[in-house]
Amino acid sequence: MGFGEYPPEYNAKIHGPYDPARYYGKADIPFGQVKLGELGSWVGRRNMSGIPGAVSRAFWRWNHKYMLPKKTGFAPFAQLMVGCMIVFYSINYGKMVHHRNHKYHW
Amino acid sequence: MKKSMKNELKIEGESYKTQQTAIHKRKKRRPSRVHSVQSPAILLIGMLSRLAARTVQEVRPLVLVRPTSTSAVQRAEQRDEANFPRPVRPVEPGKVRLGFVPEEWFQFLYPKTGVTGPYVLGLGLTTFLCSKEIYVMEHEYYTGISILLMVVYAVKKFGPVIGQTLDKKIEDIEQSWRDYREGSIIQVKESMEKEKEAQLSAKGQDMLFDAKRENVALQLEAAYRERLARVHSEVKKRLDYQLEVANVKTRLQQKHMVDWIVKNVKGSITPAQEAATLKQCMADLKALAPKA
Repeated sequence: MGFGEYPPEYNAKIHGPYDPARYYGKADIPFGQVKLGELGSWVGRRNMSGIPGAVSRAFWRWNHKYMLPKKTGFAPFAQLMVGCMIVFYSINYGKMVHHRNHKYHW
Repeated sequence: MKKSMKNELKIEGESYKTQQTAIHKRKKRRPSRVHSVQSPAILLIGMLSRLAARTVQEVRPLVLVRPTSTSAVQRAEQRDEANFPRPVRPVEPGKVRLGFVPEEWFQFLYPKTGVTGPYVLGLGLTTFLCSKEIYVMEHEYYTGISILLMVVYAVKKFGPVIGQTLDKKIEDIEQSWRDYREGSIIQVKESMEKEKEAQLSAKGQDMLFDAKRENVALQLEAAYRERLARVHSEVKKRLDYQLEVANVKTRLQQKHMVDWIVKNVKGSITPAQEAATLKQCMADLKALAPKA
C-alpha cells in the first residue's frame, strides 16, 4: 500500500464516495466490548502495518468533527494549542526538570 | 335490474332527472374519510415519538441532500447504503467545554462520577502535576498565563462578530451557487417556452402565407375588374363619338340642303314673278281690309 492510494478493501460501487475517516476493512469487535478472555486473540489480530492508516483515520475523524463543519468555533484551535503544549513539554521535559523551584516534594 | 327500477320510477311519474339523481345518490355512499376518525391524542403521540426518534440520533444536523443522483456509482446495485451511508458535512462542530475539552469525555464519566467528576479529575491532576513539579511553573509558565488571558479575552470579545461575518460570507457564496442553479433551470424553462412560442409562430407563418396569397388574388381580381371597367368606358366613348359624328353629319347635311334649297328657290324667283306676287298680295290685303 502506497501513499495517496485507496485502501485495498475500498470498492466505490459498494461503499460510495471515499470517506478517509472510515475503516473499510472487515469490522472487528470494538475494544470497549472485548471480553477479557478474548483479549489475547484480539491483540493478536492487530497488525503493525495498519498504524499509519489508523493515524490518518483518527486525524480525519477529528477534522470532520471539529475543523470542517460549516460553523466551527475556536475549539479546534484551542485543542491544537493544548496538544502542541503537551507534546513540546514532554519533548523538553528533560530540560524542564532542572528548572524546578524546589528540590524535595511530598 | 337497474332498468326495471328506472321504468318503475318512470311509471310513477317522476321526472327523468330526479330518477338519475336518486340512483346516483344510492351508489355514492362511500366510507367516511379515515383522518377524521383519529383522536387528537393519537396524533400527539405520533408527533412526540417522531421528535424523540430525531433527538436520539446523532446530534449532527443534516445538510440538505439533493435527491437526484447523477453518478453511476451511486446507483450500482451493490451499493451498501445501510452500513456506508453517504458522508454529510455537519453544520455545527462537536461540543466542547472550557473551550477545548470534548463533551464526550464528560458524558463518559457521568455515570460513574456524576456532573463534577471530570472537573475534580482535572483539578486533582493539575494539583498532582504542580505539586510534584512534574509541571514546572517556571518563567515561561507566567508568560503562558498572560498569553492565555489575552487569547481568552480576544476570543470572547471578537469571536461572535468574526463568526457572524464569516458565516454571512459563506451563506452568500452558497446562495450564489443555488441562485446559479435555479437561474439555469429558469433560463432553460424560459427557453423551452420561447421555443414553443416559436413553433406556434412558425405554424402561424403558414396561415400568414395563405392570407398573403389570398390578398394577391384579391388584388389581381380588383385589377382585372378595373381594367374591364376601363375597357367598357373606352368602348362607350368611341361609340358615343361615332354617334356624335353621325348626328353632326346629318345636321350639317340637313342645314346645307335647306340652305341650298332656299337659295335656289330665292334665286329662281324672277323679278316679274316677284312683282306679280307682290301685286297679288296687295290685292288680297285690299280685299281683306274692308272685311276686318
